[in-house]
Amino acid sequence: MKKLLEISLGVVTSVGGFLEVGSMATAAQAGALFGFQLIWAVVLGTICIIFLVEMAGRFAAVSHHTIADGIRERFGFNAFIWPLLVTLLVNFLVLSAEIGGVAIAAELATGISFQWWALPVAFLAWLLLWKGTFGLIEKGVSMLGLVTLCFVVAAVMLRPEWQEVAVGSVPSLPQHDTAKYWFMAVSILGASISPYLFMFYSSGAIEDRWDKSYLGTNRAIAGLGMSFGGTISVGVLIVAALVLGAHGVTEVDDYNQLPLMLIPIFGFWGFVLFVASLAIACFGAALEVALQQAYLVAQGFGWNWGEDLKPRDDPGFSLVYTLTLFLAAVPIALGLDPLKLTIFSMALTAASLPLTVVPFLFLLNDDRYVGEHRNGVVSNAAVIFVIALGFVLAVVSIPLQIFGGT
Amino acid sequence: MQLLRDILDKQVVDREQVKIGKVDSIVAELKPGKPPRVSAVELGSIALARRLGSAPASWTAKLAARLTGRQQARPHRIAWNKVRDIGVDIEFDIDVRRTRIFAWQDWLRDHVVGRIPGA
Repeated sequence: MKKLLEISLGVVTSVGGFLEVGSMATAAQAGALFGFQLIWAVVLGTICIIFLVEMAGRFAAVSHHTIADGIRERFGFNAFIWPLLVTLLVNFLVLSAEIGGVAIAAELATGISFQWWALPVAFLAWLLLWKGTFGLIEKGVSMLGLVTLCFVVAAVMLRPEWQEVAVGSVPSLPQHDTAKYWFMAVSILGASISPYLFMFYSSGAIEDRWDKSYLGTNRAIAGLGMSFGGTISVGVLIVAALVLGAHGVTEVDDYNQLPLMLIPIFGFWGFVLFVASLAIACFGAALEVALQQAYLVAQGFGWNWGEDLKPRDDPGFSLVYTLTLFLAAVPIALGLDPLKLTIFSMALTAASLPLTVVPFLFLLNDDRYVGEHRNGVVSNAAVIFVIALGFVLAVVSIPLQIFGGT
Repeated sequence: MQLLRDILDKQVVDREQVKIGKVDSIVAELKPGKPPRVSAVELGSIALARRLGSAPASWTAKLAARLTGRQQARPHRIAWNKVRDIGVDIEFDIDVRRTRIFAWQDWLRDHVVGRIPGA
């Protein structure tokens, strides 16, 4: 019974982590422009992240190391510094985009321009990290994230042709806007396979003191939680395809077009639900990314860390998330377009994948860390696939950024 | 046990299990006619910067010297004979509060973090 509760809490949490500004914006754009044709990218991204999250949890539960600890210890500082710097940069952009997402939701709700909301949002997030515990952040905020299920409800109520949805889950070549099509596919993959997700998950497993008895729980949470999150993304895509596409909005280049998505289904409440979903999903992600920055630095250099400690007991750790949050709010406060930043940072995330995923191949096959719980053939094949995918994405995302970016 | 594989870059904790850093470098003694012997481990940014090359090493050492107001800045050293346990972490029989390792974190606590309400 306790395990069941733990699994359901974990599933809810991972949904909160999965759905953020990136997956919402990329799914909405893809749906509006290409109908159901890009569903396969969401499905593929979700399968990849299930494998990576399961491995990150297993690694932490068996070896009592976070992924960052493992990379530094196994490969040495001179190799670790590259994933460290690149992940810090990518996370920073993602955090900025998440703050922008909450700020846009606040603008939609109040009419006051998003720029003014960036610093208050950063402050509120900081306050929760400063005063809150890991449990509060992990469970409390992600519980609220269940409001995003409204997209799945909406998708079902729109009665899509399920046959076409199924066709969309198989990759196919675009008939128009080829560069844009592939750029969208890259951004969707980047939004689903985020390094911060699996790195945060392994830190969480250490914070929650997981051991080998959690291996089953871990598998269930990774599988169910991420597929749940993927389902909501598909929901966003279907709604965007049927509502935005049908109303002739093919080019989602402004956040103000997005709330229209739910209005035909839920009326005025559709507007409220959209704003609440956007705000909560992005706020939850902002908390996780800011914490992950602090985890990464503290684990990389061996400082004391833990969200349950008081800031005065881990001053270095607390200072990292404080600085990150307020610095990440600055570009939004200066008026950088959150939607453009989101799409850009998702493509960059995809390109940075090899640096953080290659170590999985070594860590999860090393007897000294995972002993008998090392990767099987399927898991290793999945890692190699993600690495290959990451390399391709890294090579194509830059030219696509120029020709296919919004 | 292999030094570089099993000791370098491992998490260091003190006797109270406080995380105090990583093994940033290893100090070995060479005496004529005898095999090399590990005498200490080093922690801190100076030791770390040395691994990246001579230029980062001299910048970091200069910066550290300026920040601490000393003539010369050296990495923190913990004698190898203080090692108590090597497992997930490597535990040394020291009390971090009696070393200078956390001097910068203490400074942060007293001057920045501690002054923010709720810390």
